[in-house]
Amino acid sequence: MSEFRPVRVEKGLGGFGGPLIITPTEEKDKILYLTGGGVEPECLEKIVALSGLVPVNGFETSCPEEEIAAVIIDCGGTLRCGIYPKKRIPTINTNPVGKSGPLSQYIKEDIYVSGVTSRQIFAEDGREKENEKKQSFFDHPFDFFHQEPDPSIRTDRKITEILKEKKNKSLITRIGLTTGKVVATFNQAARDALQTCIATILPFMAFVSMLIGIINGSGIGEVLARLLTPLTGSIYGLVLLGVICSIPGLSALLGPGAVIAQIVGTLIGVEIGKGNIPPNLALPALFAINTQGACDFIPVGLGLAEAEIETVEVGVVSVMYSRFATGWIRVLIAYAASLGMYT
Amino acid sequence: MDFIVNLASGFMNLFTLGGEQFMSWVTGIIPTILMLLVLMNAVIALAGAERVNKLATICTGNPILRYAVLPFVSAFMLGNPMALSMGKFMPEFYKPSYYAAATYHCHTNSGIFPHINASEIFIYLGIANGITALGLSTTPLAIRYLLVGIVCNFISGWATEFTTKMVEKQQGVRLSRELKKQAD
Repeated sequence: MSEFRPVRVEKGLGGFGGPLIITPTEEKDKILYLTGGGVEPECLEKIVALSGLVPVNGFETSCPEEEIAAVIIDCGGTLRCGIYPKKRIPTINTNPVGKSGPLSQYIKEDIYVSGVTSRQIFAEDGREKENEKKQSFFDHPFDFFHQEPDPSIRTDRKITEILKEKKNKSLITRIGLTTGKVVATFNQAARDALQTCIATILPFMAFVSMLIGIINGSGIGEVLARLLTPLTGSIYGLVLLGVICSIPGLSALLGPGAVIAQIVGTLIGVEIGKGNIPPNLALPALFAINTQGACDFIPVGLGLAEAEIETVEVGVVSVMYSRFATGWIRVLIAYAASLGMYT
Repeated sequence: MDFIVNLASGFMNLFTLGGEQFMSWVTGIIPTILMLLVLMNAVIALAGAERVNKLATICTGNPILRYAVLPFVSAFMLGNPMALSMGKFMPEFYKPSYYAAATYHCHTNSGIFPHINASEIFIYLGIANGITALGLSTTPLAIRYLLVGIVCNFISGWATEFTTKMVEKQQGVRLSRELKKQAD
């Protein structure tokens, strides 16, 4: 019984939650799996090999909850994914499903991890992690439909035995598992897409709609059109607009959330719709209103690229300069490319 | 009294107009974008971000790969702002240039692929709505936006190498041109 070791489970592609540390003890020595109608999940053998937990097939038998160290499920996002987190039992979902279903409020990062394959299972001492990273990085073009166990698991004879068994998995089971995975992925994609619409697109639409209502209904629109049309109704005006937007310093102020560019874009769109601005100028206008693009975001963006402090200091200035230097060229190229469009 | 009534109805009219605008966008734009987002999210989840990582290590050596191909693929696969994280595979000197190209790619490609930058989509949609209002198709605009974007974003990225050199001299520092041993 002394062979229990903790394992770390990280979220997989498109997954949610984790990393979970699963620590087996004398009392909690079972890992319950409720997957594919009793088919062993792909990540199970690695967890078992690394942790020393006893696997229990939840479709065949059951065991007292006090003995369960963790549960593996392949829930597509309705019920199972919430049940065990609700009971505060660490839950591993092999499908990339986030907070969803009627029990979604219990699905939290500290008790739930999803999208898990054998590639996300590590021994907690960190030794395994090094190997794994190199493997997945350079040798493994990731194959989502890869149902075979990872060839990198050759550390234990027991595993090879299991591997042989796995080879015998019937074609129908495989088709079933693959279909389930694809369906779950699309379902999650739809959930994410709707979330994006609700969280970001619709609020902005509401905000801009209200502005347009006020602008058009109050007569401010006429004033703005008189201001905007000379600036955006000809290529000279657009180049000028592009240059103004990209002036270093000003460009950083115009950036946040691209709100200003989006409003100006909408106003130009309204004028195009009314026929005050020729439609082919839509293309250079797209470039002109956005020459400042992301000038407010440079330190954050370079941080995402793990840049050093010196690089950030140089980069902030450098990107603003290059925006200023190339902004007007972009507008001109776009103008050249717009000739012949919508005529 | 009439004055107050007129004022009130004029006031309400502003929001009726806004509401009409909102409804036309919700019924005209949201369904298509939603379907596209579903497909793109699924494609990305199935193809996997690890492939982009692999591509990134190949793309560092050559300006065209660095400022046109890699940011295009990263924007498509990872969207804004995670596409910017692919800069980590570059030597320090090229990171600002990659940033300059990748951020623009997150805009110019969003006409056809709105999933890339859904929260800033109105830069494109706002203008494209005018085209729709004229009864014309927005597809030519979206395609030209993307194509011109590839050329221009490459120019913007590459030009940043020169401005970076300039700023290096101003600030008296020199960024590494070599890739660090382990880009993790």
